Amino acid sequence: MAAPKAFNATRGDKVFDVVNIVIMSLVLIVTLYPFLNVLAISLNESADTVKGGITIVPRVFTFENYQQIFQYEGLVRGLWVSILRTVVGTLFGLASASMLAYVLSRPDFQARKFTSIFLVVTMYVSGGMIPIYILFRDLDLLGTFWVYVLPGVVSAFNVIVIRSFMDGLPYALQESAKLDGANDFTIFWRIILPLCKPVLATIALFLAVGQWNSWFDSYLYNGRHPEWTTLQFELMKVLQSTQQGGSGQMINANDMAQKMAQISPESIKMAITIVVTVPILIVYPFLQKYFVSGMTLGAVKS
Amino acid sequence: METLTPGGTSNKSPGAPAAEADVGKRFKKQSFWRTALQQKYLYFMSLPFIIWAFVFSYLPLWGWTMAFQDFKPAKPFLDQKWVGFKHFVELFSDDRFYLALRNTLAMSVMSLVVGFIVPIIFAVLLNELRGMMFKRFVQTVSYLPHFVSWVVVAGIVTKMLSTQGGAINDLLVGLHIINEPIQFMAKGNWFWYIVTASDVWKEMGWNTIIYLAAITGIDQEQYEAARVDGANRYRQMWHITLPGIRTTISVLFIMAIGHLMQIGFEKQFLLGNNLVQEYSQVLELYALQYGLQMNRFSYGTAISIFNSVVSVILLFTVNGIFKRVSKESIM
Amino acid sequence: MVSKKAKWIAPVALASLVGLTACGGGASDSKGSGGAAADDTGPVTFSLFSADSNPNWNGMKDDVGKVITEKTGVTLNAEYAIGGDTQKVSLMIASGEYPDLIMPKGDTSKLVEAGALVDLTDLIDKYAPNIKALYANDMNRLKYSKDDQSIYILPTYTGVGQTSFDAGGGFELQLEVLKELGYPEIRTLDDYEKALKDYYAKNPTINGQPTIPLSLNADDWHIMIGVTNPAFLATGLPDNGEFYINPETYEAKLHYKRPEEKEYFRWLNKMNSEGLLDKETFTQKRDQYLAKISSGRVLGTINQEWDYSEAENALKGSSDPTMQNRIYGHFPVTLSDQYKDHSFMDVGFPGGYGIGITTNLDENQRIRAIKFLDWLASDEGQVLNNWGVEGKQYNVENGKRVIPKDIQDRKTNDNATFTKETGIGQYTLMSPHYGDGMKDKTDNYYTTNFPEQIQSAYTQPEKDALKKYNATTWKDLFPKADELGTSAWGAAYNLPAPNDPSYTVAFQKAQDVVRKRIPEAILATPDKFDAIYDGMLQELNSADIVEMENIFSQQIKNTVELWGTGK
Repeated sequence: MAAPKAFNATRGDKVFDVVNIVIMSLVLIVTLYPFLNVLAISLNESADTVKGGITIVPRVFTFENYQQIFQYEGLVRGLWVSILRTVVGTLFGLASASMLAYVLSRPDFQARKFTSIFLVVTMYVSGGMIPIYILFRDLDLLGTFWVYVLPGVVSAFNVIVIRSFMDGLPYALQESAKLDGANDFTIFWRIILPLCKPVLATIALFLAVGQWNSWFDSYLYNGRHPEWTTLQFELMKVLQSTQQGGSGQMINANDMAQKMAQISPESIKMAITIVVTVPILIVYPFLQKYFVSGMTLGAVKS
Repeated sequence: METLTPGGTSNKSPGAPAAEADVGKRFKKQSFWRTALQQKYLYFMSLPFIIWAFVFSYLPLWGWTMAFQDFKPAKPFLDQKWVGFKHFVELFSDDRFYLALRNTLAMSVMSLVVGFIVPIIFAVLLNELRGMMFKRFVQTVSYLPHFVSWVVVAGIVTKMLSTQGGAINDLLVGLHIINEPIQFMAKGNWFWYIVTASDVWKEMGWNTIIYLAAITGIDQEQYEAARVDGANRYRQMWHITLPGIRTTISVLFIMAIGHLMQIGFEKQFLLGNNLVQEYSQVLELYALQYGLQMNRFSYGTAISIFNSVVSVILLFTVNGIFKRVSKESIM
Repeated sequence: MVSKKAKWIAPVALASLVGLTACGGGASDSKGSGGAAADDTGPVTFSLFSADSNPNWNGMKDDVGKVITEKTGVTLNAEYAIGGDTQKVSLMIASGEYPDLIMPKGDTSKLVEAGALVDLTDLIDKYAPNIKALYANDMNRLKYSKDDQSIYILPTYTGVGQTSFDAGGGFELQLEVLKELGYPEIRTLDDYEKALKDYYAKNPTINGQPTIPLSLNADDWHIMIGVTNPAFLATGLPDNGEFYINPETYEAKLHYKRPEEKEYFRWLNKMNSEGLLDKETFTQKRDQYLAKISSGRVLGTINQEWDYSEAENALKGSSDPTMQNRIYGHFPVTLSDQYKDHSFMDVGFPGGYGIGITTNLDENQRIRAIKFLDWLASDEGQVLNNWGVEGKQYNVENGKRVIPKDIQDRKTNDNATFTKETGIGQYTLMSPHYGDGMKDKTDNYYTTNFPEQIQSAYTQPEKDALKKYNATTWKDLFPKADELGTSAWGAAYNLPAPNDPSYTVAFQKAQDVVRKRIPEAILATPDKFDAIYDGMLQELNSADIVEMENIFSQQIKNTVELWGTGK
C-alpha cells in the first residue's frame, strides 16, 4: 500500500470512501449470512428443514423449536447461574488482568522479568485433566460455584493485551502524578485505568463470552449438583436428547426411529445457538461504544 | 524504530525508553530491599495473582510424570510403573504422528499468515468508515459468525462447495471459468485452503475487536495534525494507524507463534471427510484418538509435553528476535 | 462450542463398535440412612451415574418414579453423561469417588481394573429371585471373563428374549421404483442394480431435478453403516462388528479380508464408474444426504432406517401421493443367490451394557441396592416401567392391558413431555427386563411394542407394496432365524473389547486404513480398483494388525468357553 502520488487529496478520499463502503458491504453480507441461516432454520418447522435448502427465510414458519427447548426444567435456574458466573468471572478476571498488566508495564518494577515469564508460560503448559480435577477436589471446589470462577482468574493473554495498551500511554502522566505524591495503586486506579477503557471493554467481552459459553466445566465438576449447573450445560442436555443416534447401542431400531422422528437435532441446534447468542447481542452495544470510536488523549494529557 | 508521522507525535511515547534508562540508573544505587519496600504496592498488586497462577497452573504439572510411567488411574502415585522415555520413543516412531504434525503446522502457519493480516486490514478499513451507525453495524455483524458453531459453518461451507447446486461451482461454471463442477471437498490438496478460508470467514470480525480497541488508543490529535499537513487517507492509515497498533500486532503475533501447535481439531474434523484424511488429521485429534480415547493417559501426556516444549521454545525464540529487532516483546 | 463434544465423541466411540464410550461420576454426596438394615423399605438415596444422556430425568418426580420410591423406599440421585464423554470415568477412578450405582457402558473394564465394581454373583443368588429367573440359563453370559468369572454388570440395555418385528436394514429401494417396474424380485445385487438402471433410464429427472440412482451416507462413522457393513451383510455374514469370525475355529480377522467382500466393493466401484453412484457420496454431510432423500430423487440407498428416518418422515408427510410413494422398502440383497442375509440370525442373549453396584456401598447397602434392582426386574416393576400406572396410563379390559386412545395420542405426538410426566421408559435402561415379544403370566406382552402395532403403523403405500410381495412386514422378505443357525459367541460387537494397547492402537490404525482406502477404491477407475484394494489388504496385514486379530480370536475363544456354548 504505497502512498499514492498524484491524487488530489479530497478526490482520493472520496474514491476511498466509496471503495471502502463497497468492501464493507460485501463483508456485511458474507458475515451476516451464517447467522441469518441459523435464525431461519431455527424458525422453520423441523420436518421441513430436513429437505434442506433453507437460506435466510424460513419456509414453514414455527416457534415449535423454541417451545421444545423451553419446556425443559432448569433453564431459568441455569440462566441465573450463567449470569452470575459471567458477572463474577468477568469482574475477577478484569481486576487481576489490569493490575498485573499495570505492574508489568512499570519498567522499574523489580520482579518484572520473572513475573512476565512466569505468567506467559502458563499459556502453553497444562498438567492435564486428572491432576486438575484432583487439585479442585483437594481445594474443595467441586460442587461449588467457585469452580467456574477461581481457576480462570489469572489469564496471561489478557494481561499482555492490556499491558501492550498501557505501554502506549505516555509515561509522563505517571511521572507527574508520582511527583505529586500519589502511590502506585492510586496512579493505577485514578490515572491509568480510566484511559484503558477501550482495552478493558475488549477484555471484558472476551472474559464474559468465555464464561457465558462454557459448559464442560459445569458438566465435569458440577454434574451432580443441579443447583450450580449453567444454562449452556442444560442446553447441551437438551441437544443430546435429539442426538442419541450415534452414541447409544442400537438395540431396538424402532425405539431409535421413534426418538429421531420427534424433532430433528438440526433445528434444536440452531434454536440453541440463537438462544445463547441473543443475550450477548443485547449487552454488546454497551461495550462496543468503547472501542469503535476514537478518543483524544490530549484532553487528559495536561 | 519509532515511526514519526508528519507533524504528529508517535503513539508510543518517546519518553518511555528514556525514562526506563533513567530509572534503572537511579535504582542501582539502592538496595534490593529498599526498592522492594518502595514498590510495595506493585507487589501487593501482583503477588496474590502469582501465587494464584502457581496453584492453578503450575501445581497440576505433576501430571507430566504420567508420561514417564505406564499410568493406571486407580493406583497411587508410588505404585505406578516408571518406564522412562518409552512413550516418547513410541510417539517419535509413529508415522501418523509426523503426518499429523505436518498438517497441524501447515494449517496453523496458513492461518497465522492470513488470519492475522485480514483482521488488521479489516480493522483499519473499519476505522476509516465515516458513518458511525454503519460502522457499528458492520462491526456487530462481522463478529456474529464467531458464535455460530463449527458444525453449522462446516455444513454451510460443504453446501456452498457442493457439485450439485453449490454456489461456488455454479458461479465458476456460469462464468465459464471451468467446464465441470470441481469436487472441492474430495481433493486433499484443497483442504488446507478450505479450512483457512472458513476460519477467516468465521473469526475475522471477532479478531478485529482487539485491534479496534488499540486504534481507539491512538491520539486523535495525530490525525488532526496530519490532515493539517495535507496527508491523505492512505498516508494516515500507513503512518498513524498502523504504527499506532504495531505493539498490539507484535504482541499478538508472538503469542500466536507460541500457539502454532495448538490449533484444536474441531474445524478440521468437521470439514474433513474420509477422502482427505491425510490432510485433515491434526495433532490434537491424534492425541485424542490414540491417547485419551484408548485410556492411554501416558501417551496422551507425552504428546502434550511435546507440544508444550515446542511451544515454549518457539515462543522464546520469537520473543527474543522481536526484542532485538523492534524492542517489542511480551517478556 | 455447543456441539463440540457431541459431534466427535459419539462417532469415534461407535466407530470402534466396541464402545470406548465412557462414563463418570462425582462424589457420592447423599446416601440417606447409611446404616439402614438390609431388609427394610425405609427411605434411602442412591447416587447413579449413567454414560448415556437423558435430559428428561426429573429426579423421580414422575408417576412411575413415585411408585418405585413408594414400593422400594429408594430415591435415585442420577447424573447423566453428555455426548458419550469418556473423561468422567477416568476422573472418577483417579479420585476414587464413585457413585453407588453405575451404568458405565464401554468403560466396565476400567472400573473392574480399579476394583470399583462389586461382584454380584452371591447377592443375586441370595437376594434377587426375579433377576435370577430373568437371566436363568444365560447367567453364564453375565460373567466378566474367563479369568475373572464375577458378575459385575447386569445387562439392561437389551431385553431378554427380544424379538425384532420389522426389518429396518438391508438394501432400500423406493416404492415408486418397485411400482413402475411391476414389483420385480429383488434378491441379488444384479436385481437391485437392474431396477435402479431401468427406472433411471426412463426417469432421468424427478420433479425437474436430476435423478440420483444410488446415494450412500458415508459421513464420518456412518460410513460403517452405509458402506462397509453392507459388505458382510451382502455376503452372508451376521454382524460381528469389524470382524469375520470362523464359526469352526473361532479365528477372527477383519472382514475386509474375505475375497467375496472385495467383489462387493468392486460392485460399488462399477456403480460409480457407470454414474449410478452419487458423486458426492464420500464428501456429503449427513444433512445433505437427508435433504436428497427427502427430495424424493434418490432411488436407492443402503442403510439402516434409523439413519434416514427423518427424511422419510418428511416424505410421508408430503401432500403429494407420488412423494409419499418415494419412501423405501427393505430387501435382503446379497452378492449372488448362494448367500443369505443374516440380519435375523438368533445370536442368543447378547449381554452387553448394563448396570452395576460400586464399592462405595457397604455390605448392607449392597443388599439394599440389589433388592432394588430385583424389584425393578419383577413382573410388577417391569409392567410399571413399560405401561405406567394402572388406571392412569393403561387399563385392564378382559384381562388385557390396553392403552386408552387419548394416552396413546399423547405418547405419539408429544413424547418428550409424556415421558417426563409419566416416567414410562425412563427406568427401563436401568432395569433388568424382558424384550419385545415376551409375555407375562397373564398372557400380556411385557412391553408396549408388538407385531400388530408395527403393521398398523405402515403407510398405505407400504401396505400396498408389501401386499404385492405377499408379506405383512419387510421382515417377512428376509431369511428366518431358523434357517440361519446360531452363534456361539453372541454378537462380537457386544463383547467387551480388549483393553490392551496392542489391541486398541492396532484397531484404530486398521480403521484409519479402511476408511481411507475403501472410498479411494470405490471412486477409482475400474482398472485401478484391484491395485488399491490389494494395497489396503497389504496394509491390513501388517504385524500389529494381525496381532490384534489374534488377541480378539483369543477373546472369542475365551467367551465361548466361559459361556459353555462351544462345540
